[in-house]
Amino acid sequence: MIAFENVGLRYGHGPEILKDLSFSIDPGSFHFLTGPSGSGKTSLLRLLLLSLKPTRGRVTMFGEDVIKLDRDRLLQMRRHIGIVFQEFRLLDHLTTFENVALPLRVRGQSETSYRANVEELLDWVGLGDRMDAYPSLLSGGEKQRAAIARAVIAKPDILLADEPTGNVDPELSERLLHLFEELNRMGTTIILATHELALLDKFGYPRMLLNEGELVIHE
Amino acid sequence: MSEGLKIGFYRPGPIVPAQSVAGRTLMLLIGIMTFLSCVTFGGVLLVQKSAVGWSADVGRELTIQIRPVDGEVLESNIRLAISLAEAIPGVAEARALSLEESEALLEPWLGAGLDLSDLSIPRLVIVRLSDPNAADITRLESEIAGIAGAGLETHAAWRVQLNTMAGTIVVSGILVLSLILVATALAIVFATRGTMSTNREIVDVLHFIGASNRFIAGEFQGRFLMIGLKGGAAGGLAAIVFFIAVGMAINAVMPEPSSAQLGFFFGRFALGLNGLLGIAGVVMVIAGLTAITSRLTVRRFLLQIS
Ligand SMILES: Nc1ncnc2c1ncn2[C@@H]1O[C@H](COP(=O)(O)OP(=O)(O)O)[C@@H](O)[C@H]1O
Ligand SMILES: [Mg+2]
Repeated sequence: MIAFENVGLRYGHGPEILKDLSFSIDPGSFHFLTGPSGSGKTSLLRLLLLSLKPTRGRVTMFGEDVIKLDRDRLLQMRRHIGIVFQEFRLLDHLTTFENVALPLRVRGQSETSYRANVEELLDWVGLGDRMDAYPSLLSGGEKQRAAIARAVIAKPDILLADEPTGNVDPELSERLLHLFEELNRMGTTIILATHELALLDKFGYPRMLLNEGELVIHE
Repeated sequence: MSEGLKIGFYRPGPIVPAQSVAGRTLMLLIGIMTFLSCVTFGGVLLVQKSAVGWSADVGRELTIQIRPVDGEVLESNIRLAISLAEAIPGVAEARALSLEESEALLEPWLGAGLDLSDLSIPRLVIVRLSDPNAADITRLESEIAGIAGAGLETHAAWRVQLNTMAGTIVVSGILVLSLILVATALAIVFATRGTMSTNREIVDVLHFIGASNRFIAGEFQGRFLMIGLKGGAAGGLAAIVFFIAVGMAINAVMPEPSSAQLGFFFGRFALGLNGLLGIAGVVMVIAGLTAITSRLTVRRFLLQIS
């Protein structure tokens, strides 16, 4: 589903942030992406989100070389990928419901067709009574769950999550992890970046460990 | 029950925030530009309408001037001129101004209580044409020339001057209007780019969750079309109010007869139906210009960032 061959990445003329990455990820798998802060986790996720192109090497997703994608194909591919940003990136002027429904709305679906689905998902992540609240009124944990709901509402094949437990207490972290497990069980491929060792130990999924831009472990 | 109603009336919030500062500034700018365009347009229309009307009125009248000449009987020359004029096809009526009428005409210049019989001033015969195109003015001119001391005044030179002036004003007006439209388009380009940059985060998030450029452009265009329509309507309305106010001010400030004269010149400051339609047209053009310009600018912006 995803294959990296000798991939390198640099921002502008800066130093190489990711060096010589080679790995592949099977459909339906669950990986932890870990490593110290600044090791390149977010940069790797941006490559996977197709928001950056590798400066060298080859990235293949869904069987296609990403460097060759035209605008339309890139858009189609992105619609199979869900993303939870480290800083959530909810839109402040939209309610929780509207934020979560946004991926369906941009796909041209009508509000009547998706309302029930969105409400069900919000109930499932425990935001059923916060649907009409704006992000500025949500707690860190609530924003986190809204961001996760937005990432999965369109049933992506791949879910990328950047430190989705970074802003919540350990108890909620675990509950969110169970939520990702549930999604994975339903067939979504998950790559979850985190540097919380406790979570890694508790949930024994294979790890990809980055250190200074190099992949030191890939299980 | 109440849940059902709430859902029934639910409308998703706009993806581009309605209350963005650039939006309000742009609306004000478009309002002002529309106002200027409408005033220019209305002014040109009034000048043009008045010039055409005045020129036609003047063209319907000729004046024969008969100076007293020694050895001639003025009264019989006047009668001769009248009968010559009335014999010309296309002439409706020829009439000599009485002494009193001539006095009334000269009163503003020479003062009241004037006795014209003491002065040897020319007498006037007013010739009204029923059809200015059919009348044989050249024949009338040559026949009148046969009367000692008589001459025909056709106002032709004056009309040419009036038409040239009106034409110059119309051309300048069209030039000003075009410049205003170009300036508006440029301002919209800058405002659109500003708004896009301000809302860059929204654009990026939309891209990441799978929105096409087409979808994003549509959301922004919708905003700009609304801004264009609202700003344009406000500017157009202000222009109409302006014309009504100026018309009323002229009637209030000017003494009755001169106000009537000015009203005659400016078509009583009445834009009329085609004036209102024209203003509506200007508003539509500006709203359309806003929509198209911002559409192109948004497209360019999206292509540049992806
Ligand atoms: N947009 C950028 N431009 C330049 N350098 C960047 C940019 N984003 C990240 N970096 C650099 O890349 C390195 C890896 O960052 P990042 O991928 O965010 O790591 P992590 O998510 O593991 O903390 C850091 O040294 C960071 O300074
Ligand atoms: Mg990071």
